Amino acid sequence: MSFLVSSIWKDLRRWKQDRLAIVIWLGIPLMIGGLITALFESDSAAKPQGVLLIADLDDTLLSGLVSGAYSQGELGDMILVEKTSAEEGAARINAGEASGFLTIPSGFTAAFLDGRPVTLELKTNPSQIILPGIITDVTEILLDAGFYVRELFGAEIDQVLNAGGTTPASDALVASIAVAVQNKIESAAPLLFPPAIDLEIADPTDDTPQVPIALLFLPGMVLMALMFSANGLAGDYWAERERGTLRRLVCTPRRLFEFIAGKALAAGIVITLVGFITLVLGFLYHGISWSKMPPAALWIALSGVALFAWFGALQMLTRTRGAANLLTSMLLFPLLMVGGSFFPFAALPESIANIGRRTPNGFIVDRLTTELTGASTWVIDSQSWLLLGLMAASGLVICGWRLGSGFARG
Amino acid sequence: MLSVKNLVKQYGDLTAVDQVSFEAGPGSVFGLLGPNGAGKSTTIHCISGLLQATAGHISVAGHDLAKDARNAKKSLGVVPQELALYEDLPAIDNLRYWGKAYGLRGKALEERVRDVLVTIGLGDRASEMTKNFSGGMKRRLNFGCGIVHRPAVMLLDEPTVGVDPQSRERLFELVEAERANGTCILYTTHYMEEAERLCDSVAIIDHGKLVVQGSVTELRAQLGARDVLQLHGAFPAEETERAVLNLAQENALDLEIIARETSQLTLTLTAASHHLPAVFQAITDAGGQVSETSLRSPNLETLFLLLTGKELRE
Repeated sequence: MSFLVSSIWKDLRRWKQDRLAIVIWLGIPLMIGGLITALFESDSAAKPQGVLLIADLDDTLLSGLVSGAYSQGELGDMILVEKTSAEEGAARINAGEASGFLTIPSGFTAAFLDGRPVTLELKTNPSQIILPGIITDVTEILLDAGFYVRELFGAEIDQVLNAGGTTPASDALVASIAVAVQNKIESAAPLLFPPAIDLEIADPTDDTPQVPIALLFLPGMVLMALMFSANGLAGDYWAERERGTLRRLVCTPRRLFEFIAGKALAAGIVITLVGFITLVLGFLYHGISWSKMPPAALWIALSGVALFAWFGALQMLTRTRGAANLLTSMLLFPLLMVGGSFFPFAALPESIANIGRRTPNGFIVDRLTTELTGASTWVIDSQSWLLLGLMAASGLVICGWRLGSGFARG
Repeated sequence: MLSVKNLVKQYGDLTAVDQVSFEAGPGSVFGLLGPNGAGKSTTIHCISGLLQATAGHISVAGHDLAKDARNAKKSLGVVPQELALYEDLPAIDNLRYWGKAYGLRGKALEERVRDVLVTIGLGDRASEMTKNFSGGMKRRLNFGCGIVHRPAVMLLDEPTVGVDPQSRERLFELVEAERANGTCILYTTHYMEEAERLCDSVAIIDHGKLVVQGSVTELRAQLGARDVLQLHGAFPAEETERAVLNLAQENALDLEIIARETSQLTLTLTAASHHLPAVFQAITDAGGQVSETSLRSPNLETLFLLLTGKELRE
């Protein structure tokens, strides 16, 4: 087993003991991603729903129609009507268990038909705003509708009432009432039904595929996991320096590059594992085709090495461990923010997104987004692989230079 | 085996090591002695490859460090002053890792690692995490990592600093065992008693320059039988010195003044304990006053005092 492999094993064994760090690197992006997904997914499905208690003391066909009016169409999705007694209704609305409580008094139908005043009592829940408002509006519309029906068809209603004694009603009476109603509707038709305008709303043609917003967050979440773990592992250069193992290493006949390559590969394995778990969870949740996994996994593996190399280089360019942590933390969060991890590029102003795509992590996120969703600017092509490889190599070269130029000596 | 010729190390205008030369052979311990900041560690860092020498020539087991660094380093085993261990790995994995760093492989590595574990007394705790070890055990493992590849030359940079007496004794035994195996050992310390016990030959370094070198016997001979008498108090400048020298002349004493300050007078004197009353009287008559006296038999520490006029631990 070569020294390179030995170095990889050495670091993997050491880092394995720090399981908490791995859980944190994995947990933070998953927690944020989970919250964002839950937020966007629940937003499209959830509708407010309230309970309307109705005490129908009249218990007639007309009062039943009034009760049923609240359950029609989309209103039925929002308002759940429950028939109740006056006492129970009053108790439950006072306890805040419903959005509203409507009492239809005894004699409601008779009063309506006779054209006498009648009072419907509606109590609403003051701790709610939207649903009681809807119930109040619907009740007012129903009362208005009842008033106009009585005004328009009062004569016909009276005819029916007057013929109440003759059962069944004669065909002639029914026909005359029907004709009268038809005539009134026809005469009012020009006023009630203005010339119809067909309004056709055509969606503008959009070539970009419609991607669920939660899915757009996935590449950024994966990169967040990669960045946290790369930054955390890069601190190991300082740990080795403080333990004196770097000094001992310089005294051995080994080339420093073997040591750096070993550490970078060990870090690559850990970072890829963290990124891969995030990726797999994203694939499972969003139902992404598994054929996209191999290039995505390879992309994050090389990205992990590149990010580790650069974080390591930055750590070693500082004079103290505290300064190193401060520097990388100061860079980490702005990079995550502008580089598409906190907000997908699609949600950023184009000018900022263009800057973000040119940051190291934004470069990676953008191509991963295209790979996973097809909805971004650049694809993972040979040029992308070359650039990422150069990024990793240049970071490792700087690490080697710093180790050899005094960092290892301490 | 280890040859250092005209070694110079400069940091800008500061010369940390100035024309240092010495040689050490196989199966011997060469002590590099001196106070803190004398240039011992810089010398050892230049030999180990941690620092690049400004000038000079270093050869390890016949390999020129500048021209054939890889082979020179293969022949070197380094036991640094500070612990250099992976505390989050078991002892056996530390030895394996450093063994591989020096090119050991497979069965040879495993056998050597087992041998070293027994040698350093950690055979039964090989799989235990290093972070759980006591300070002395870590010191032994630190030593083990330096000998795992059977180096021809070992560099021990103040290995007993901060070590308890029991662990120190164990380390001495390990050093003596390596010497018996034929290893050439360069040992730096500022404890003269360690050097006197372990070293076959020593060089004393101060301000980056070698003050003296030779075998311990040779250096003791330089002192002769004279004790070192150190007096603290108040000593008027000319009068005290003249009074002491007069005393020596009148009584034919083998006496030499090494250093004189207003508060301290250091001199060497054969059978000093017999002449103390006369010396005190002469000083008092000259207007001086003695408040504290220190009398030491000849050893490397007093040699250092003799050569530099100051204490080794100053």
